[in-house]
Formats: sequence, structure tokens, C-alpha cells
Amino acid sequence: MQPAKLGELPSKTSPAGRQPEDRRRPAASLSRTCLAKTCVIQTRVIQTRVIQTRLPQTRLAPSRLARTCRLALARLAVARLALAIGVPLLASMSPMAICQPDAGFQAISAAAESARQQHDLVRAIALYRQGVQLNPKWQDGWWFLGVLQYGNNDYAPARDALTQFIALTPEAGPAYAIRGLCEFETGDYDRSLEDIERALMQGAANRNRNAGILRYHEVLLLAHAGRFEQALAASAEFSQGEAAPEIVQAVGMAGLRVSLLPQEVPQDDPRRNLYGAAGTAALAYMSGDTARAQQAFQQLFQQFPDAPNAHYLYGYLLFGKNPDGAIAEFKSELAIAPSNAAAESMLGWAYLLQENYPEAQIHGAKAVALNPQITAGQLVLGRAMVETGDVANGVAHLQTALSMDPGNLEIHLALVRAYAKSGLREDAQRERQQCLLITRESESHAAQP
Amino acid sequence: MRRSHSRAVPWLIAAAALSGFLAIAGGYVKARAASPTGSPTATAANSTTACARCHAEAKTEPSTPMGRALELPGSNPTVTAHPRLAFQKAGYSYLVETKDGKTTYSVTDGKTTMAIPVLWSLGAGNQTWVLEREGKLYESLVSYYLAIDGLDITTGDELIKPHTLEEAMGRPIEDREKKACFGCHSTNSVTGGQVNLEHLHPGVLCARCHEGTEAHLADTLRGKDGPTPPALSKLSSEDMSNFCGQCHRSWETVVRGPWRGEVNVRFQPYRLANSRCFDGADPRISCVACHNPHQPLEQDSGFYDGKCLACHAPASQPAQQAATPTVSQSTPPIANGAKTCPVAKENCVGCHMPRVNMLGGHLTFTDHQIRIVKPGTPYPN
Repeated sequence: MQPAKLGELPSKTSPAGRQPEDRRRPAASLSRTCLAKTCVIQTRVIQTRVIQTRLPQTRLAPSRLARTCRLALARLAVARLALAIGVPLLASMSPMAICQPDAGFQAISAAAESARQQHDLVRAIALYRQGVQLNPKWQDGWWFLGVLQYGNNDYAPARDALTQFIALTPEAGPAYAIRGLCEFETGDYDRSLEDIERALMQGAANRNRNAGILRYHEVLLLAHAGRFEQALAASAEFSQGEAAPEIVQAVGMAGLRVSLLPQEVPQDDPRRNLYGAAGTAALAYMSGDTARAQQAFQQLFQQFPDAPNAHYLYGYLLFGKNPDGAIAEFKSELAIAPSNAAAESMLGWAYLLQENYPEAQIHGAKAVALNPQITAGQLVLGRAMVETGDVANGVAHLQTALSMDPGNLEIHLALVRAYAKSGLREDAQRERQQCLLITRESESHAAQP
Repeated sequence: MRRSHSRAVPWLIAAAALSGFLAIAGGYVKARAASPTGSPTATAANSTTACARCHAEAKTEPSTPMGRALELPGSNPTVTAHPRLAFQKAGYSYLVETKDGKTTYSVTDGKTTMAIPVLWSLGAGNQTWVLEREGKLYESLVSYYLAIDGLDITTGDELIKPHTLEEAMGRPIEDREKKACFGCHSTNSVTGGQVNLEHLHPGVLCARCHEGTEAHLADTLRGKDGPTPPALSKLSSEDMSNFCGQCHRSWETVVRGPWRGEVNVRFQPYRLANSRCFDGADPRISCVACHNPHQPLEQDSGFYDGKCLACHAPASQPAQQAATPTVSQSTPPIANGAKTCPVAKENCVGCHMPRVNMLGGHLTFTDHQIRIVKPGTPYPN
């Protein structure tokens, strides 16, 4: 995989995410192919304008200025990519919209297209807005209105336009992607994550660059939502090649279980060094270079001996391949932070997989005592109790875990075991079916609570 | 919306350092050099013989496919019967040659030849070889298949496109995989979670399944009453399924794993647990209700009719009487009431447990997902 750098734009005219010249496309779709080209050109103009108009207004220190530039470029790259992946998507849909019987609408849609081609952003937006008012089922109108507004930093109106587009074309992954990015900008993080995850599932990250931008936001949003393990899993996307500093920071924050967004940490905050070091070490491990990872983690531990969750992070990464090493790291973590419920849970889980159920139960109970809302702790405690013979109480903890995370395969697996042990055949069969259903929806599963 | 865990897998199961593994393999090779008989220790074999004094099962178990799951040089009937096995694939020529009790696996691209002595032969009947080269273990890229009485690509390695002679020779065995291979094909090779090939004894013998065998034997020989190994016959069907699933893959293992489609027909505990009639608390649907691990596999499908009728007996024949447990199990009260077959009263498995061919017929497995098989319906995953 190519490294995904947010501050870098494609150098060629043909953007990443766009199909090569689509010569096999039916004649009826050619006009839309042309639209795709002009939209790309338009976006490049927007880029230039934003850079030209915004930079003089900002009075930032050089480093912040550079960062602002990078983020602006990244955002614009997204818009450009959206056009590249979205317009062919539009072209593949059933022909409708642009050619409508209403003469007024036809004139407006033609004028909107013309304005867009002439790089008159403000007029194009106004005309598209007018066009969709006349014809609310005008897919192209909603799409271009949304994308152009996004490029113009009008995130809330862009989000609303894309919502209309999605209502007309529910399977449009790129629209979810851009709407998710709009929601990120407006601070609606829950919906942003939902949209970005949906976009990823619908293949919006089918090119490296798209993947990089979407995964970066996914990592940020998952960590912000407290779904740190999933954030780390999403980070694996960045483990091959050199990751941009923003990404390394984001991975470090996810690994250290920090719910803040990077922009919430001041540039001169010393924690940034910690996050960077943790991100570097985690990415080294994910790349498969365990020796480099070990060295990076040792440096991290030396430099930040009391950093919460640093040993937890290494233990979590080691867990799948080296459970004994993971146990040692979780113990080190608990020596530093005795109230770390996540470390207690993972320690219990490691013992559980080693079939050391009494020890697993001890750590599961500690985790739940520290934080009853920790799903992994409830799972570990529940399963350990089932295995040690206290099936009824074990099931109760597993049900609690299930209420917190209904789609968790490991909880359903534990319930299969519990019901089978209880002789509750029907319940066991139902849980088995649930497990099979979950696994059919994904490719494979690591044993993680 | 919940996202799959799939991306977590590549780095969670990323390649681990092989340093520990190399030390173990090196130690084993050294030990073997000092033990030309190919029997590093005789403890397991001796204990099996000793077990047979009191336990009749121990007499027959070593001759079962499980008892012969691993063969050492000089005692491998498969290669002895086929002293020269040749095969060609993707520009590479393979030769498995046995002379004077020693088997050599060689592969050539026409210019260079790599020849490696076979140290361990895994499988009774079908056979794959574990090779050692420069301190690393490899699974041979070709295997012997009984059905074709010859060599072909090893099951699971079909997609490997070798670019070098080494890749054509075999697939490197990771540390974790080594535990699984030797742990399931031999006895005493994994102790305390660590692989120790110095103490390996070929095949699945008493001590592999019955924990505490050695101590029990020592007590018995001293005339002392000590603790006996836990009675596996007392395991529930669910626990038995998991126990056998250590090697045959448990339901949980397969659910967590990547095997989808007909490839999972190999994993009988998984398939059985997917059966509508499976009940983890009912001994009539346990692995050992049908199979006696101490005896060779019963090939006559009629043999299994009684097992099915244990539940699906007509009203005139009480279910419990129909049940003839293969190994003794504690039997809780059983409720009858399962439907009887309207089509036939014999050869149940012929229809309800169809045979599935793999690798173009090189391997055939009985699908243990018991069901009413309707023509044209896809393989239930």
C-alpha cells in the first residue's frame, strides 16, 4: 500500500480514484464523463482560490500556517476525489435528471453546468440550489451542490445537499464519505463516524488516497468515541510505508486510549511527543517489524516511564502472537496504573485463552469492579465464571456485556458455551446461528474481547 | 454500524521471531543424531505398552489412524510401499525416494536440486512431510494422496506460486503452527505450552489425551493408589466436541477462523455442532457416541444406523434401547420424540451425512452436519 499522506495532492491531471478514460461507457453516459472532467478542473480552481483567499487572512505562526495549508489541501483533495469517484458513480446510474421536460429547469441546469465549467463557484452553487428547488429529484444537482459547497467550506449546507442526494441514491458510498467529512467539520462526530464507516463498507476507499483520508478520519473518530481497539485496527492501514506525522499522532492517541482529537492538543503540548512516539512504535509493530517495534517501545518506556497505557498498547499488540509477552506488559501497565480496567480485562482475557479460568476470573472481577461499563471485563468475568462452574452468574455478566455490544462475536461465543453447559439447547442454537451470521458479514476474526 | 474485525488480523497474527523455534529445532536435530534408531525417548511407547496391561484400549489404539498420525524414518509403511514417488508442477520436479529406511525429498528446477532428508511424516494414508533446512522447518509443498496413489500439491498450499527452489520445496512453518502440527500428530511434543521435539513420540498415544498418564502409571507400578487421569468419558457432548476439536478444530475455532465453504467439511466438531439435532448436553450426539478413538474408523455405514436410531427410533422401539454407546458415557435421562425417517430405516448417513470431495477427489470427507439434504441446495456453511 502506498503511504497515505494527507497534505499531499495528486500530481497528475487524472486524480486518484478516477477510472481511466472510460471508453466502454455507453454513449448516453458520455455527457456525464465530460462532467467528471470539468468537475475535476473546477475543483482544482477551487483549490487555488481557497489557498489564495484564505492564507492572507490567517495570521498564524509559520508552522501553524503550514499545517493549515496541509489540512486545506487535504480537504480539497477529498473534494476532488469525491468528484472523481462520485461522478462516474453518477454516470453509472439510470439516466434521469439533467434532461427534464420543464424548460425553466433545463435552462437552470444548463446554466449551472456552464457556471461550474467557467469556475464561477458562487453562481454555480446558486444555480444548482435553484435547480434542485425546481426539481428535487435532480440527483446531479444535489451531488454537485453538496460537493461544491464542501469545497467552499460550507459544511452544513453541503451536508444537507448530500443528505438529499443520499435519499435518492442510498448506495452512493462517496456521498456518505463526503457527508461524513462535512459532519466531522461541523462537530457531529457520531454521525460522521457512522457515515464514514458506511462509506468504507460501500467501497468508497477503493483507492489508496481515498482510503488514507477516510481511514485517518475513521481512526480519529473511533478514538474519540472510545472505541480504541477498533481505532488501532483501522490504523493498520497506515503501517506499510512512511505515515504522515498527523497520522502517527492519531495512531499514538488511539493506542494510548486518548479520546481527544489532535486539534484539541496544543502544538507545543509535550504530550504530542508521547503520542508521536507511541504511534511510531505501534505502526512499527503493525508493519510486521517486531524487532524495530520492540526497540521503539523500549525507547517509549524509557522516555515516558509513567505514561498511562503505553505498556497496555504494547501488550495489546503482542497479544495475538505472543500471549506470554502480552501478559507481562499488562502486568507492567497495572504496576503503573492499578486502576486500568482495560489492562485488567486484557490480562483476564489472556488467562482465559490459556484456559487459566480462576486467574481470568480474578482479573475480570477487578476490571468490572473498576468499571462496570467495560464490555471486555464483563465478558471475561462472565466466561470465566461459566468455565469454573458458576454458569448462572456467568450468563448474567455475559448478558450485561451483550447489552453493551450486541454485535460482539466473542460474547455470542461465550453464550453458546454457557447455554450448552446449562443444557439450554434452543438458546445455544440461537447463539450459534448469531455467531455464524456475524462471521458471514466479515472476513475473519481475531480472538479479541 | 459495526465494522468487521478483519483488518485487525494481519498485524495481530503477523510473523513472529523464530529465535526460540530455531533453538528447539536445533536441539532436536542434535538429539536425533545421537539416536539413530529414530526413537528419542521410549517413555510414551513404554507407557502405552504398560497401559495395555490393564486397559484393553491401549492395545488397539497405536494401530488406529490417530495412533499412526506421525511416522519416523524407518517405520513409515507409506513410503516403504512407494520407494520412488515423482511429481512435476509449475516447472519443478519432485522426487520422494526411500532407500534403506531413509527417505529423501528432493526438488529441482532442472538446474539446481535441493535434497532434504525427511524427518517427520505426518498422516496415516495421506501423508505430508516436515522438512528441516538450515534450522527452519517446512511443510512439503507436495504430499502423497491415497486416492490417486501418488503426489500432488499439499492441501491448503494450492495457491502458492513458487518463485524459488526453496519456495517450491515447502512452506515455512511458523512457531504457533509447529505446536499445532506436532501437538496433534504426536505425543509428548508439547509440554507446558512449549514444543519439545526431543521427547516426541510418533502418533496420538494414551498420554496425549489422558492427562496424568505417566504419574498414574508410575503409581501403579509402585503398587500405590494415586490419582487417576480424569475420565474423558464423563465429558458432556459439548466438552467432548471441544476436546476432540483441539485437533479436529472446535466449533469456536472454525467460527473465528477463515474457513468458509466446503473446506470446512474437514472440521467434524464444527460441522456436527451446526446440526439441528446437536445438543451439547445429550450424549447421543457426541463424537464418541459414534466413534471409538481406540479403534480403527468403522467404514461400514450401516454400523452408524443404531446411533441415529438412538434418537430417531420408531415409537415401538424405545430410544434408549436403540442407543449403543461406542464408549461408555454417563447417560442422563433421554427424551425421545425425534422424527423418524419416512424414507428408510437403514444407511442413514448415506443420505443425511453426504460425502464431500475435495481437491478434485484427492480427499473425501463425510459431512458431519446432519441434515435433510435437498438436491441442488448449496453447501450449508
